[in-house]
Amino acid sequence: MDMKVPAEKLGLTEKYHLLTRDLAWDPSYRTNKEIHPYGDFEGIKIHDWDKWDDPFRMTVDSYWKYQAEKERKYYAIIDAHAQNNGHLNITDARYLSALKLFLQAISPAEYAAHRGFARAAREYEGVGMAVAAEMQAIDEIRHAQTQIHGLSNYNKFYNGFHGFTTQRDRMWYGTVPRSFFDDAMSAGPFEFIIAIGFSFEYVLTNLLFVPFMSGAAYNGDLATVTFGFSAQSDEARHMTLGLECIKFMLEQDPDNIPIVQAWLDKWFWRGMRLLGLVGTMMDYMLPKRVMSWQEAWKIYGEENGEALFRDLARYGIRKPKGWETAAESAKHVPHQIMLGMYQWRFGTAFHVWPPSDEDMDWLSEKYPDTFDKYYRPRWEYIKQREAETGEPHLNMGLPKLCQTCQLPTWSTEPGEPEKLVQREIEFDGETYHFCSEGCQDIFEHEPEKYAGAWMPIQGLIRDFGEDVPGWMEWVNLIPGKDNMSYHGSEDEQNFKAWKAQTTASS
Amino acid sequence: MSYELTIEPLGVTVEIEEDQTILDAALRAGIYLPHACCHGVCATCKVTVEDGEVEHNESSSFALMEFERDEGKCLACCATVEDDITISAEIEEDPDARTIPIRDFEATVSKIESLTPTIKGVWLKLEDGEAFDFQAGQYVNLHLPDDIGSRAFSVASVPTSGNEIELNIRVVPGGAATTYVHENLTVGDEIKFTGPYGRFFVKKSADMPVIFFAGGSGLSSPRSMILDLIEEGFDKPITLVYGQRTRDELYYHDEFLELAERLPNFTYVPALSDEAEGSDWEGARGFVHEAAKDHFDNDFRDHKAYLCGPPAMIEACISTLMQGRLFERDIYTEKFISAADAQQVRSPLFKSI
Repeated sequence: MDMKVPAEKLGLTEKYHLLTRDLAWDPSYRTNKEIHPYGDFEGIKIHDWDKWDDPFRMTVDSYWKYQAEKERKYYAIIDAHAQNNGHLNITDARYLSALKLFLQAISPAEYAAHRGFARAAREYEGVGMAVAAEMQAIDEIRHAQTQIHGLSNYNKFYNGFHGFTTQRDRMWYGTVPRSFFDDAMSAGPFEFIIAIGFSFEYVLTNLLFVPFMSGAAYNGDLATVTFGFSAQSDEARHMTLGLECIKFMLEQDPDNIPIVQAWLDKWFWRGMRLLGLVGTMMDYMLPKRVMSWQEAWKIYGEENGEALFRDLARYGIRKPKGWETAAESAKHVPHQIMLGMYQWRFGTAFHVWPPSDEDMDWLSEKYPDTFDKYYRPRWEYIKQREAETGEPHLNMGLPKLCQTCQLPTWSTEPGEPEKLVQREIEFDGETYHFCSEGCQDIFEHEPEKYAGAWMPIQGLIRDFGEDVPGWMEWVNLIPGKDNMSYHGSEDEQNFKAWKAQTTASS
Repeated sequence: MSYELTIEPLGVTVEIEEDQTILDAALRAGIYLPHACCHGVCATCKVTVEDGEVEHNESSSFALMEFERDEGKCLACCATVEDDITISAEIEEDPDARTIPIRDFEATVSKIESLTPTIKGVWLKLEDGEAFDFQAGQYVNLHLPDDIGSRAFSVASVPTSGNEIELNIRVVPGGAATTYVHENLTVGDEIKFTGPYGRFFVKKSADMPVIFFAGGSGLSSPRSMILDLIEEGFDKPITLVYGQRTRDELYYHDEFLELAERLPNFTYVPALSDEAEGSDWEGARGFVHEAAKDHFDNDFRDHKAYLCGPPAMIEACISTLMQGRLFERDIYTEKFISAADAQQVRSPLFKSI
């Protein structure tokens, strides 16, 4: 065959090495240990950083080109959304509660992930892993930024969007995602990457993003759908990074396997506790629902997870400890959280409402084993009582919080849906409470870390006592506007009035 | 009518016929593109069209999604062209891969021998002066008459005897092709084959000790690879862990015993999983992965491992190797993907094993 074969171009791997890893240098007047002081304090042993296999080959110049194009598209759509009163195209203003929860809980988490990746990148001795983590740090800050910009359109018209930065730190449900990310960021660089890069970004990300983004699509929110698409095109990269990290750590030394397994147990459980809030949003806050939380768990959690852990078994890794409990609790968690939030609705910066008869029929269809038996009677009781007294059914007592995940201990024991969890232990002369065995295990493994956590309810009692209005001002919650029921709210009235104007003939 | 197909990042231009797939054109010109199922379901052969238009033909909408089509992706095993085209593929250079164009060969059946009650050795001779060039471990597609179609078989002989190749074919109950070979094929028949195919060959440039795992009818490639290494004077340790159910299925046993006796760097570890209790078998009893774990004392580090056999054996061996600290980058398997395999839910944790 007479075929001219011209000089070959550089291979993909070689080219990428030249643009990333080969830019590193060996220190001459400081030791690696001085430069990367946290490299070995978690017990993870890395013998050969050259075995790191770059999971993707994106360089800063191509990243810039690609992301700039995405941002151009995104901001064009956001502008059009604003100019065309896109906020009036949503199904109805109840949907805004889902967005407020997203902005208060998830967008600050994106920012926390940015900080975490930037810091972890600094700690890795291997340049391949450092470059990949830096790239993800930039992604995460872009995600926080595009989300905040996208949702700022809604802030012009509706209540409850203004205080998310304060609420991240001070609001009783805002500290749930905050404590999750603070826990990861204050761990070592390898635990961080297993916590966020692998457990969150790979195992759980679809459970977070798909429900919110399909919820947005079903409910006519073009702005959110667009930032969803923009962020999701980065997720493939984040997922492959998470996969490469876990493979690399497991292959470098057999002593790493039990350490990684313990982190998987911990971070799977922490993730599932956090995502209970997403389940509540899916089952109770979308005027047009996509699928139930339990269905989402089956598709995105169980099916993908089973395949993944089958492959990880080759390394001697087993499924996370709380896996079966998580499957069982998916039938209960959204109902338990919403019943709690409804009764503490004076303290939420989003509106809530009891499920209508039609909603309850949907819930019993989706949760045939649990809804009619355990939760419908409670909703019916609450609704009946409110109808009889004309007063809101509120719980003026304050919740006991789990010292690990910071959620109220409103969940029940696995297999015993009528028994509230009562778990407490003594540590250093103090009593600490837990929402589950998983959270108690996490505390007992590192009690000093969690014993020092700032707890929002204890903080409220200590600093404000009976002064609830003072607390509301401090958490940036405007009573009568941001909180309480959707029905009768300013958001409901305004949306209806503005929507009517768009269809009025004059 | 033919057009020009340019393949980046190699910058090589080859001819492509109308109705010929991109994959076929590339392979026939000796340019390897990653591929597996060859009928549009596994997505292994996904490439980017840089310039030009393609027809996607029977590409599955799961293997190649709509948005990917919009982004200019195509499956090389299905895509055809009606004009010149440039594609780019994720090709990593492999220093051990030789560029051997795939060709059609006409051969005569020169010998048939029963190796075991279920396996026949079939020798195919080319015309004088003709030789089949291949790398030990590769396979051919054997074209069978009566509309049976073609089937893939690994070559069991060494490349240096290229004028005559040996295939070892186990009869598959109800399988049209293997039944034909066992019952109808006779010495003197003319038969066509195409090849060589596959990326299963020894990474000689790594220059590391090698372990071969063979089971069932998967001995062909390992045998060819071992004999080829020995011919070349490879001086690192070579170990063959070879399993069958019973002694009478353990073909080429005596040949390997003789090699082990003669060569200090060749070790032979046979294992039988279903040999009758009390027979005179003195070797290992159990599965290939168990025999290997015992023999290597659960430490496989600093080897290259080549696996060939039924899927359950491959899976068990991979887990055993990984728990004995040998990982994906040093493990090579020959996989024949069927449409059913492509439906199986796998995580993206591993790329090649």
